Amino acid sequence: MFKSGRIFMDRKELLHQFETLLERPAGSLNGSEALETLEQWDSMSTMGFIAMVAEHGVTLSPRQFVNCRTVDDLLNLTGIPKS
Amino acid sequence: MSRPAAILRAIEFHLPEKVETGADLIREFPEWPVSRIEEKTGIARRHIAAPGECASDLAAEAARKLFASGACTPAEIDFVLLCTQTPDYLLPTTACVLQDRLGIPTSAGALDFNLGSSGFVYGLALAQGLIEMGAARNILLLTADTYSKLLHAADKSVRTIFGDGAAAALISAGIETGGEPRLGPFVFGTDGTGSINLIVPAGGMREPRSAASAVPVIDSSGNVRTRETLFMDGGEIFAFTLSKVPLLVKQLLEKSGKTAEQIDLFVPHQPNRYMLEAIRKQLRIAPERFYVYLSDCGNTVSATIPIALKAAQQDGTLQSGHLVMLVGFGVGYSWAATLVRWP
Repeated sequence: MFKSGRIFMDRKELLHQFETLLERPAGSLNGSEALETLEQWDSMSTMGFIAMVAEHGVTLSPRQFVNCRTVDDLLNLTGIPKS
Repeated sequence: MSRPAAILRAIEFHLPEKVETGADLIREFPEWPVSRIEEKTGIARRHIAAPGECASDLAAEAARKLFASGACTPAEIDFVLLCTQTPDYLLPTTACVLQDRLGIPTSAGALDFNLGSSGFVYGLALAQGLIEMGAARNILLLTADTYSKLLHAADKSVRTIFGDGAAAALISAGIETGGEPRLGPFVFGTDGTGSINLIVPAGGMREPRSAASAVPVIDSSGNVRTRETLFMDGGEIFAFTLSKVPLLVKQLLEKSGKTAEQIDLFVPHQPNRYMLEAIRKQLRIAPERFYVYLSDCGNTVSATIPIALKAAQQDGTLQSGHLVMLVGFGVGYSWAATLVRWP
């Protein structure tokens, strides 16, 4: 029932899940995009992102997003390295 | 000599007559994507207390339903516990007002306690303590809130979620059989660093109401509030919930020596469907064992868990003998969980 810790997920899969969350086509993001240019990155998708990474054992708070400029900055918060 | 043991015997609830729907919100906010929001929150209607209709009025109606059901008479109640954050007065204690209004004997104890969505579980713990120490035998546990009176009319972020309502529960002394407890154990938690994320800043003693506290401010999402109305940082509350609630469930299972599979039904506080779905997925509980009751009443704060229990009983989901886990969490931050063997 409970996940004992972080489930392995690579950065490519994480980016793909982020695209799905924002309802964007697969492969449409490369990570360098500025978050403020992504129309779907709003308060609802912020919660979606928190829930998405929580399923992988990562706890994040919106306060941590304040200094994130790009998609990569955001995904770096998960601790999953960019290969 | 046998010790008395606390048993949750019966629950009733009451919602105000006035109903606010998505269509009502669309009339007020034509640009607001109400149907998309409803899909996420799972809330189609909220009951809203009328002007002058207060927590005590809703609680009294719920209690009268409990007495009318035959669960007990007012004369048998020897303690009243009322959980509310929207009391009728700063003082006196609303539970004292209700003693008189409900015809409960003057020999009864009565007190209010101030908690939000964790309040029902804390109330059960207080009731169990009073019963097991021999101080009371029939406790009327009331949870009643009218958060609508704390919301700014132009704050869409909270108006789509919160509804008013009250529940009345009877917790009585039974004889301890030496078998499994019918209520408990309990796990509690508190983190006051979260107090700033769900707060009405003005109107208490720290910041009395003033001309300055009544000035409306528009946030980046276009929502309006003053320091006298509810502020909720939805993202922070969401993050808190996902970081604490799964752990709370795990702690209670460990403390009780149960496995998740032995729990017949999980009845969590009902903030909104989106949050509940995220919690359920994290815990990997099947939807049929994770009860959601939001559509007709929204988030009624301290009343959500007893309302959901009663609804689950009425629709047949909850049956006699079921082992139920109750999980409360919210403003404070405050959280608590317990197990109930349904009577």
